Amino acid sequence: MPERLSNRLLEHRTERGLTQAALAELVGVSRKTINTVENGVFVPSTVLALKLARALGEPVERIFSLEG
Amino acid sequence: MVIQSDIEAADRLTQRRARMLPTMAVIFIAQQGIYFTTKTEDLTRPVDQLRIAGWLLMSIVLLLALTTDGFWFKPKRVRELMDDEPTRANRADALRVGFLATMVGAIGLFFLSFFDPLEARETIHLLMAIGIGVALIRFGWLERRAL
Repeated sequence: MPERLSNRLLEHRTERGLTQAALAELVGVSRKTINTVENGVFVPSTVLALKLARALGEPVERIFSLEG
Repeated sequence: MVIQSDIEAADRLTQRRARMLPTMAVIFIAQQGIYFTTKTEDLTRPVDQLRIAGWLLMSIVLLLALTTDGFWFKPKRVRELMDDEPTRANRADALRVGFLATMVGAIGLFFLSFFDPLEARETIHLLMAIGIGVALIRFGWLERRAL
């Protein structure tokens, strides 16, 4: 059974009161990048996952985890 | 630190690109239709030369739009934001699908040539229309899905 990357980006972002655009600004990426990662449309690279985790002040494994 | 206006500008241009790409594909494919319905054997008339030059120019522009981040006259930072990870992944997928469609088209034309000999120019037109058209539609569809 193929493994799938799930994420809790939306949860962590809203906890901090950030919009997608505000998080995009913090990370230095487009709003589309945040949207596609949040919705599971796109699996981010390790670099982007680490940048997102750093911007949210969380360890990367609290935001991204393997499913299945 | 990225200023807000760059992100907003990139967002707006990304949406425009997602709407524009399939439209450009339809125009490009329609242009091939005009070529085949008004075919001429020689290209001595200026109007035919202009038509061919237009087709070649449009093909090159569309190929560049597909393979680069596009919007070449916009600030570098905005273009970098538009050429983000999902866009690069979508572009790679679109080029893969475009390449496959071209190969399938080439195989089809190979068999067709046994029954109806094809001119080199016709064949090139068809293969370019398939490859560029399919890649543009695929890229546009993936980009719209990502918005």
